[in-house]
Amino acid sequence: MIPLAIANQTVREAMRRRVMWIFLISGLFLIAMGPVFGFLSPKDSQTVLRSLGLAAILLAGLFITIVTCIYLIPVEIERRTIYTVLSKPVQRYQFVLGKFLGGFATVFINIAAMGVVFLILIWTQEHKIPSDMAMGVVMTFFQMLLLAALSIFFSTFATPVVNFFLSFGVFMVGNLSSVIDSLTTNPNALVSSAGKIVHYLLPNFGNFNIQNSIIHPTVEIKNPQVFMMQNIVYAVVYSLVLLTLAVLIFDRREV
Amino acid sequence: MATKRLPEDLRNRPKKVLPIIAVLYLLTMFLQAQIDPRARELRSGEQGLESTSGGLGGEFLLLPLLGFREAAAGLLWVRCDEFFHSGDYDAILPLVRLITWLDPHADNVYITGAWHLAYNFTDSNERSDRRYIIPAQELLREGIRNNPRIPDINFEYGWQNYDKTKDYETAASAFNAAINTPVWKGSDDFPYGAPLKAHHILAHTRAKQGRIPDAIAEWERALKRSSDQLARDPRNFTFISLNAAEKNNIREIYQRYYDRYTTSNHDASINPTKYPFVIAPPPGSTEPKPWDVSLHVKFETVRSKVFKVSGKMNIADGARVDIRLTNWDYDQREAKRRDIVSKEVLEKFRVEDDLTILMDTASVRKNKFEKELDMSKDPRMYSFAGDSYKAQFTFNIRATSPHIQDRHGYSGEGLTDVKENIVLDSRPELLATKMIEGQDGNGPVWDGKTVPWQVDGKGVYGQPVRLVRVTYKLNLKQLLGQQPITAKDIVPNDVP
Repeated sequence: MIPLAIANQTVREAMRRRVMWIFLISGLFLIAMGPVFGFLSPKDSQTVLRSLGLAAILLAGLFITIVTCIYLIPVEIERRTIYTVLSKPVQRYQFVLGKFLGGFATVFINIAAMGVVFLILIWTQEHKIPSDMAMGVVMTFFQMLLLAALSIFFSTFATPVVNFFLSFGVFMVGNLSSVIDSLTTNPNALVSSAGKIVHYLLPNFGNFNIQNSIIHPTVEIKNPQVFMMQNIVYAVVYSLVLLTLAVLIFDRREV
Repeated sequence: MATKRLPEDLRNRPKKVLPIIAVLYLLTMFLQAQIDPRARELRSGEQGLESTSGGLGGEFLLLPLLGFREAAAGLLWVRCDEFFHSGDYDAILPLVRLITWLDPHADNVYITGAWHLAYNFTDSNERSDRRYIIPAQELLREGIRNNPRIPDINFEYGWQNYDKTKDYETAASAFNAAINTPVWKGSDDFPYGAPLKAHHILAHTRAKQGRIPDAIAEWERALKRSSDQLARDPRNFTFISLNAAEKNNIREIYQRYYDRYTTSNHDASINPTKYPFVIAPPPGSTEPKPWDVSLHVKFETVRSKVFKVSGKMNIADGARVDIRLTNWDYDQREAKRRDIVSKEVLEKFRVEDDLTILMDTASVRKNKFEKELDMSKDPRMYSFAGDSYKAQFTFNIRATSPHIQDRHGYSGEGLTDVKENIVLDSRPELLATKMIEGQDGNGPVWDGKTVPWQVDGKGVYGQPVRLVRVTYKLNLKQLLGQQPITAKDIVPNDVP
């Protein structure tokens, strides 16, 4: 219950931040731009509408996640409000978990809001909501879960500015999974070893980029449900690893 | 040290937790190994960002970096659309290349890009630059490889070969591939794999090949399909009109067969004689024999790089003489280029600057034709970099209109040329169904009934096409107007 109470408070606080609203409104504006490209052929405009909508959700979700999560713990330390919390019978791991859940709930609310607007827009344009569009939003949601865990992990030892660049940088590298994956088969042993280390060690955000099959229905993979499930499990397990590490570090941090 | 002040349970926590973390981490690695094959499947055909990022502006680079290649491709396509409208055609090509690299499933970009390459680069007289056909077709082939489930790219590949290069065999293969594309439920044409037009154009292609039983078989296939659709939706006007057109085309193709090749069932408005029209006696004769078209061509240089083609041909109005002026070794170089598609062709759609090719047609009116060819205004397209050139003038019965084929047959069985300009093209892909005895063909004559006309599941083709052709061999000085062109420059036609 304690983590949930902290999470609840964190959501309230996060939702009061103006910068998050700016990102949310920007995302919604980008999504709403989709039908503007109706002058293209029907198939092209459908492609642009779908790809732009999903990209807008990701972009806005990315900034909302990072900006929300990088401040959650440092701000409490800086304002010294953490003493009030930790002086009560609250364990540090409960505090970290609560902050993570609160931050992620904020991200969830925002992605859900953008997702609903996006799906309504798809419905107005195509008179149906393809289930894979909703799946695209869900995959973005789990991508952000992993990113939120990463930001919380970094926030236990880095300042918000450093954390911003660290989180953003790892997200970028993790998104280049196709490039890094190709390095793993490089004939140069050194390059391939480095590629393997990066590919298996860093969180692989590129796993969640399934827009290819969503935007082009002819692109299919074997057992897509298994693929999605594997990715979801990957996000949850990796987040668990990061949060546990975050707790271990935070346990030893002087506040 | 802070750690010394930690309670014991906290001090011991890493010992307990780290093994669990290690196990979980190993689990993520295992999951990643499971995810990789499907992720690769999902990304098949995509070019790495190291290739694509080089041409991307800052506003487009962020999206692919974040994994949104399709969104970047979509926005670049919007830019392309602007360039199309403003006529900035050169700017479109690099964008087409980038988009198809970023999003190899953008079928419309492959199709539009290839059409743009093949049709829109023209000289000042709207003659297209034929050197772009190889990159155009290579782009389509790449699109087909990346999108085996989309019939439209195969359809476009077929159409380019049908319309632009008159390579009917390749066109037929492509239309067949479009028709045989596995069906999927998401298609607008479900439960059929390709739009109805693919059947129609395949039937027309078979007719252009002179493979009439195959053409009839295609029309019947199309008729069955539209009849099925009509049975489901009897008031659908599209299906009603398609069905009527198919019935009419089957009726017409049989009627033309009777008029051209048999002595029965003649339509007097087409064949007023009692003979097969392709061997009907010419005026003043009672002996059935092929018609002498007597092609005569005069090629002159008006001024440097400006030419006049004039000539006579004993044939009905509406026939067209194909004009082709190229480097002497153009075909060999093109064949080599086609076999070894270079990086330059594939990545930059680059054409060979030192190759010159002009293709045009002259229409026959009252047995005469005349055309001026001005190649002086487009030095980028017509470089005249070589020393030796070939000017070829061909009447190809296969590509002509039906009213002329009525008199001379699908393969020119009913034409000859006393000036010995006939070229018999017997390449297997150009062989047609043999329709009449004694006109160069080999093997059995079609019985006029059996469809498809096959032995062991394969079509029976034995009729070569009779092309009527005059070839000039010219040097650069002649094309620059520094030396006259005479009848002595006419050389024997090469046999394909």
